Amino acid sequence: MNNKKRIQEEVEKTLESLDGIERAGSSPYLFTRIKARLEKEEKSFWSMALTFISRPSVAVPAIVLTILINTAIFFEFRSERVQTPQDEEVFASEYNLSDNTIYESTIEP
Amino acid sequence: MDEQFLIEKLRQGDEAAFREIVETWKNLVYNTALGILQNAEDAEDVTQEVFVQVFESIKTFKAESKLSTWLYRITVSKALDHLRRKKRKKRFAYIQSLFGAGGETIIEKPDFNHPGIALDNKERAAILFKAIDRLPENQKIAFTLHKVEGLSYQEISDVMKTSVSSVESLMHRAKNNLKKLLLDHYQNKE
Repeated sequence: MNNKKRIQEEVEKTLESLDGIERAGSSPYLFTRIKARLEKEEKSFWSMALTFISRPSVAVPAIVLTILINTAIFFEFRSERVQTPQDEEVFASEYNLSDNTIYESTIEP
Repeated sequence: MDEQFLIEKLRQGDEAAFREIVETWKNLVYNTALGILQNAEDAEDVTQEVFVQVFESIKTFKAESKLSTWLYRITVSKALDHLRRKKRKKRFAYIQSLFGAGGETIIEKPDFNHPGIALDNKERAAILFKAIDRLPENQKIAFTLHKVEGLSYQEISDVMKTSVSSVESLMHRAKNNLKKLLLDHYQNKE
């Protein structure tokens, strides 16, 4: 019983142990450190961008994507370039290339 | 210098105004962070983070509340983020140790001694801080702001953006939980 009362008293005293606490003071060099931190953050924007781009998780997919796009474009244009003889005729007639009068004209000396 | 004048000057990028703000409120920020984090290095780090954020986001400060209330809010939020990051790291190190990987060694947190406590209360205060550290986040913040920073319930409600009755309820639950934790501590000690 006495023990329980003693524990109870100790609990109460512990709960009151922060009464009259004084404010803790920070470092006197705090402002200098904050300034250095702000300057570091300003400078580090481009280095952060470079670090981000050069990350393997970013760089590898970017390279693969570029190769894929290039391959797709290459095959797309290649298939378009396969021309039939009719296409050539249409093209020639559109630009009057079938007209060979130019070869018939003679240059007078 | 007037608070509003300082804010205006800082918005214009005035370094002297920023220095004045840091020098005036640095102990408020540091002491709050120290109470929540219970580690001097972490509190110093968070204090720097708080003022960096103040510098970067002063333009968004609408001055609807006092500058000190805004500072308390940023400090509490940064300190809680810091605590969560630390807990995540600790959990990760624990999982790594289970799989036998050579992660960081888990070190038991040492007793925290607040520098502003009188010598004859140091031992009891260390026990109380250990118990405070085990409280749920909201109760911990309310209790720390009240006991370590001496804020009234009204001021705490402004910082926590809640009603005074909610703060009263948080404080009541915090005290009950602390009593239970301290009873356990002293009974186990016997």
